[in-house]
Amino acid sequence: MSKVPRIPNLGGARAFVLHRPHPTVQAITRQLSAIGLETVGCWPELPAEVLAADFVFFDADLGFDEQFPWKPGEAPMPMVALIGSEAPGRIEWALSHQADAQLLKPVGNAGVYSALLIARQSFEARKLQASEISSLRLRVAERQTIVRAVEALSKGAGDGRAYAQLRSLAMSWQISVEEAARRIVAMTEEEGGDDQSHRA
Amino acid sequence: MVAGRQKCLVCLALRRWLRGIVILGICLKRRIEIGILYSRSGSYQLVSDACRMGAMRAIADINADRSSGIELVPVERDPQSNADRYATLCEDIFRTSSARHVVGCVTSWSRKETIPVLEKAGGMLWYACPYEGFEANEHVVYMHACPNQHLVPLMAHVVPRFGANGFLLGSNYIWGWEMNRVARDLIADAGGKVLGERYLRIGETDVSRLIAEIRATRPNFILNNLIGTSSYAFLAAYRDLAAEDVAFSPEACPVISCNLTEGELPAIGESGKGHLSVGPYFAPRPAAFASSFEASAYASVQVMADVLSRDPDAGPAEFSKVFAEQRFSTRLGPIAIDAHSQHATLPVIIGRIADGFFEVVSREDEVAPDPYLSRYDPAKTFGRPRLRVVS
Repeated sequence: MSKVPRIPNLGGARAFVLHRPHPTVQAITRQLSAIGLETVGCWPELPAEVLAADFVFFDADLGFDEQFPWKPGEAPMPMVALIGSEAPGRIEWALSHQADAQLLKPVGNAGVYSALLIARQSFEARKLQASEISSLRLRVAERQTIVRAVEALSKGAGDGRAYAQLRSLAMSWQISVEEAARRIVAMTEEEGGDDQSHRA
Repeated sequence: MVAGRQKCLVCLALRRWLRGIVILGICLKRRIEIGILYSRSGSYQLVSDACRMGAMRAIADINADRSSGIELVPVERDPQSNADRYATLCEDIFRTSSARHVVGCVTSWSRKETIPVLEKAGGMLWYACPYEGFEANEHVVYMHACPNQHLVPLMAHVVPRFGANGFLLGSNYIWGWEMNRVARDLIADAGGKVLGERYLRIGETDVSRLIAEIRATRPNFILNNLIGTSSYAFLAAYRDLAAEDVAFSPEACPVISCNLTEGELPAIGESGKGHLSVGPYFAPRPAAFASSFEASAYASVQVMADVLSRDPDAGPAEFSKVFAEQRFSTRLGPIAIDAHSQHATLPVIIGRIADGFFEVVSREDEVAPDPYLSRYDPAKTFGRPRLRVVS
């Protein structure tokens, strides 16, 4: 899927900069303000409002897990790592928080804008990918249900026709094939149960 | 009688003393060297000359002003329209003089080449030309228009009057590329189509292919980001096309530009008539300045001198503080400079080319800069968004 380039709409967005008071924070704040974002500096903790933030810049040099009100890798917004020391352990830690982009310290006159755009695109792509994976997992988990639904529909007809019938039902009910299979299996079980109750 | 004579002598002495003080004042003006980095030859020489003229006029006026405590001394270098020479010549200004402020550069290419030198030397560039936005360097003061002050209002003016389908032209460097990138988004937001996008190398004058494509695709307007001689050649050929087919007359399908000023009208001649441009200044008649480039370069030196007269050693940090607190009275009118982005608040004027001048079509005063188009709102720019078929 190719993404159509757009004028990036960053006006009014809020960015939290999790870094101790330092010229780096001033440089980032200056650039963010010039771009049109509101900046909130904080250290060592992120306030509760961070959950509504559009971006979080975090210090990879002195940062630690407990600073974040979410588990590593589960930030609900794009994250930008501020890297000073390129010590492997610190980079590993920044990666554990799924940094979507990075800025090398000291931060100069440029870099924040590209970091924002790269972080946002990476974050959106990661979110989309996670949602697709979750949906695929659900579908894979329903394989058994589809087999049972096809079996139930194939009385007197072949598997091919039964599967075509399942797809046609899914389309007419406007639901997924897996969901249609679940309904058919449920209906079959209900009928079976009724039969048994009739027999009893 | 004697008392009267004595009085006269006292008056004379007093007058001489005062004159001496004034002369001493002029002699005691603090000399401040400033760099001038404009090309004196090459394909965009007319624009460059206009900027240089504005800067030099401002320097002369400030030096002649007895109330000003500074004398500006120009340290001039000529990059001859060669993008690779701007950085080295800027470095040369910093190395061989005490100048830390440079008025100069026309193309974005040259500005971007110069920025690393400015950062290294702690210098400042006063940039007096329109540019494509998406930059806010603290070593640059952007004194001409950025996209929310040129392209966006120009498109908002053109689309309801002519239609939303555009053909995009540009010289093959960053100004054309980035302006057309923004234009593609604007055209999409307006519900239109980009019918073609073509680039020519700087200085190229063979425009026959462009004209053939425009003839074939029949757009509603042409966005012209060509510069210098390429632009003049295109406008001349487009006029011939209009003579053959009225659908390409300025009244039906105008050529719109964000950098075309009076300075280039003599080179364009009759071909420009009826086409549109946008800028912070179009010369009234009689005019103080010949073009917005000249006015903007003049205003650049005015603002710089205003601050340097109080703090001759002011650098980027000091200027940023002043920008946060002060508005400036300039020949562009009263302007503010945003302390964060260092872009000027400017008038936005759309002008139509008449006989050697621009007639004002619309004007909006004091438009705050938005170099990253962070506040761009398609609904506000083009009205209610058009419904599109979703398949």
